[in-house]
Amino acid sequence: MTAASRRQIRVQEGPDHTPYPSPGRPSDLHPAGPGGRSQRPALLDEGDTYPAQRSTAHRTVTGRPADGRPGGGRHRRAQITDTPATRAYLPISVVALSAATGVLVVAGAYSAGRLGYANSRAADLAYWLGQALIVIPVASRLLSLKFLAASETAALVVVLTVAEYLVKLCYSPTGFAFVDELAHWRSTVNLLHTSKLFTVNYMLPISPRYPGLEEVTSALTSLTGLPVFVSGLIVAGVAHLLFVCLLYVLFRHIGGRRLAGVAVLIYSSNPDLPYFGSMFVYETLAVVFFGLALAAAWRVAERQPAGRRAGWLTIAILAIAATTVTHHFTSFMLVAALVLVSVGSLLAGDRYSAAWLAALALVSGGVVVCWVMFIAPGTVRYFQPAAAGLLQGFHALLAGRFFAASSAPPGPLSNQALAAVAALAMSALLPAGWWQVWRHHRRQPWVVGMAIGSLGWYVIVVIRLVAVDGNELAARAATFVFIPASLIAAIAGVRIMRAGTMRWRTSVVTAVALVCALTFLFNGLVNGWPPYWERLPGPHQVAGFERSVGPEEIAAGLWALSALGPGNRFATDLGNYPVLGSYGDQNPLRDVAYLYTSPRQTPSDGLRAQAEGVRYALVDWRLARSLPADGKYFPVDPHAGKYTHPLPILDLTKFGHIPGVSRVYDSGNIVIYDLRGAGHAP
Amino acid sequence: MRRSQADIAVTAAASAAYWAAAMLGAPATVMTVLGIALIVCPGYVWAEVLVSPRVIGLERVAVAASLSLALPVLGGVAINAAGIPLHRAAWAGLLASAILAGDALLLALRRTGRRAPPSRHAPPSRHASPSRHKDAPPLAAWHAAAVGVAVVIAAGAVVLSLASAAKQAYPGFTQLWLSTSVRNARVAALGVGNHQGGTSRYRLVLLRQGHVSTTWNLTLSDGQTWQRMIPVTDGYSVAARLYRLPDLARPYRYVTTEDQSPG
Repeated sequence: MTAASRRQIRVQEGPDHTPYPSPGRPSDLHPAGPGGRSQRPALLDEGDTYPAQRSTAHRTVTGRPADGRPGGGRHRRAQITDTPATRAYLPISVVALSAATGVLVVAGAYSAGRLGYANSRAADLAYWLGQALIVIPVASRLLSLKFLAASETAALVVVLTVAEYLVKLCYSPTGFAFVDELAHWRSTVNLLHTSKLFTVNYMLPISPRYPGLEEVTSALTSLTGLPVFVSGLIVAGVAHLLFVCLLYVLFRHIGGRRLAGVAVLIYSSNPDLPYFGSMFVYETLAVVFFGLALAAAWRVAERQPAGRRAGWLTIAILAIAATTVTHHFTSFMLVAALVLVSVGSLLAGDRYSAAWLAALALVSGGVVVCWVMFIAPGTVRYFQPAAAGLLQGFHALLAGRFFAASSAPPGPLSNQALAAVAALAMSALLPAGWWQVWRHHRRQPWVVGMAIGSLGWYVIVVIRLVAVDGNELAARAATFVFIPASLIAAIAGVRIMRAGTMRWRTSVVTAVALVCALTFLFNGLVNGWPPYWERLPGPHQVAGFERSVGPEEIAAGLWALSALGPGNRFATDLGNYPVLGSYGDQNPLRDVAYLYTSPRQTPSDGLRAQAEGVRYALVDWRLARSLPADGKYFPVDPHAGKYTHPLPILDLTKFGHIPGVSRVYDSGNIVIYDLRGAGHAP
Repeated sequence: MRRSQADIAVTAAASAAYWAAAMLGAPATVMTVLGIALIVCPGYVWAEVLVSPRVIGLERVAVAASLSLALPVLGGVAINAAGIPLHRAAWAGLLASAILAGDALLLALRRTGRRAPPSRHAPPSRHASPSRHKDAPPLAAWHAAAVGVAVVIAAGAVVLSLASAAKQAYPGFTQLWLSTSVRNARVAALGVGNHQGGTSRYRLVLLRQGHVSTTWNLTLSDGQTWQRMIPVTDGYSVAARLYRLPDLARPYRYVTTEDQSPG
């Protein structure tokens, strides 16, 4: 096909390459269709394909609007009727079969880990083979230049999400093991026991003030009789899938299904999504309402009859309220997102849309402020350390020095290299996306808003470098920053692919795009959760999060609850911390390293322990046998990342020599001391 | 086309069936199915009320499911604010009320022609049903079979994980405890818990002021615990040594209470 014929086809097919009129004509942006609704065109149409493919496709122009309804309007688009010539070689059923096989292979690797082969290279390879079976067919199908039906795109998104959720489920199939999951399990159990909201959770005091997740889970448990763990898995799994689907719907509204598929694929490379994003934590549910609020806001801002808007407005307000009740940070991000798209609408010259979105942002901000003021005033205190760390980091940066790196071990060089390549690729794609937005889409409010929001990508890169515990902060923010970043990167990626098909063979272009996408996706898996040192489940690890939760730790926690009662202030290490706080319903303290890192208890240690009301100290002898997997022995550890040998045994046995201290529990590896006799606590 | 209100009838019946099953003490499986239906139905009904029939496909399903999750979140806060305990009856009442109120509203909307029943969401016109994916090929039998096999394989993966988790070998352990009662400081609970993975024999020796006071020989099966309440006196130390037979040379576990008064 010659360049001239390609140009001719583009002209014949209407405005899908230049879907917006010139920037100076805002009145043309959303012409009313037959029902008075706006005809917001997609960035890449529902039936769109790439130029090189068009020669084989039989085209019929249907002039459907973005939601696929019938109608004319200015923004008519070409729908390519499906023919065998354009049908992809890899059916969805085969992709699903491959993904299921991948899950099975990963489950096999996990089983090998549990049966004593956690450090086996073969088991590790099996894990990656399984992940490849899940990821590669989905990615290659979404990036394929062949025809992709709307149902197929959605099915691919669902297959990827469900498969990765099953991988997460297979990691810990009998109970929650991650620290945050255990905290929410405790809140749910408390709600079920008391039948009241806003109970006390010593481990995560802010969580009962945002009880959305616990409400849904306890409702399911109460109504069905299912165990809390099973109800939690159902709620988290459904929420995870819903969030990705709503994200896809939102992206499809903005850019059409092809772009939405690619954007969701890029979003899936967010290291937090496959595991943390599907955990039994409040953010997992809150992001569903976040996505619903944005999808409803998109509909509200459309030009349409008042009756239709009322429904979407109701949904948007319900979603805003539900987000606020469920998770603090997500509700803040929702306000920010609504402000962003409102500003984007203003910049795009769409005052009508800007007004509606600003109104929703105001409602959202008001609800959040009221909730924080009247129900969850502890939210401010909860964020203070993170905010202080961030400010400290930025001050240090302004003073010309990097402040702090993560205490966690950096991991193998290959992981770091992959992270660097992915970060560089994303950092390079975004400016290319902005250029495309400026050239072709600067009159589309949501795209402009997303383009502004994608600047957040660079902010989290800076946070990662400068802030204390910057990785943690950046990972939390990434859930939201990746939304605009993945859309803008997808715009750039699709445009580059289109341009590539003009010069090179489509197979080459597809292969290059696939390699780039797989780099993103595998970076998400390699540098996401679980970390490399507990990629496979296996025997106990000191400070090893999931691998620190075993029968002996759980037995100690349950004994503490039954024998000592709830809420005792406990000194403990990082591994036992979540178990004591959840199964034990105790009040584990974070900053207790001083009690475990000297061979004798000094008077100042005693005074400090007394001031902090430490009643019990849990000592795990394994701290004297292994280095901490996470780089720190205690939740707050001044020596984090600096340990070169395990803690000296004398630092741990000293409790037995302090007058007045009782040794009340002994299970071999774990000993609990009652410090009350030493005058440390009331 | 005949207007069908079957969905309204089904959702109303689901809430009625849940209440009936709860009152009759239905089996757990029935309660599970009806409980899930009770949570899902309000989202469907209110999506029918609030969302234009023109919105179909994935978007409609996602909105309905999200509303199903939002209702317990917001309704739970309201119930709690009203001082009603959040137990099963409260949740069931909330959801059933939402279903019935939504059904009534939906019926009224349909009667006035402002909402179409599900059968009329997608008219037979080829242009009107793009989200039903007319552009996608019909699912061939072998595709359906492949998807079915995929589901079976995925279920097999979960079963494999459950089986290996159940078989995971953890080091066995034995608990020994001696703690004063929360309610009465003059008695202490002395206990042993066996988690060695099999039956174990122990000798438990209680010492008062360093002298042997009582000895127990215990045989505990895996998971079994043994506990006695023993009197304690202020100023007198009490200790317990647990030996795992046949090794009587060194204590396997050791606990002690000290005088609880400072200094």
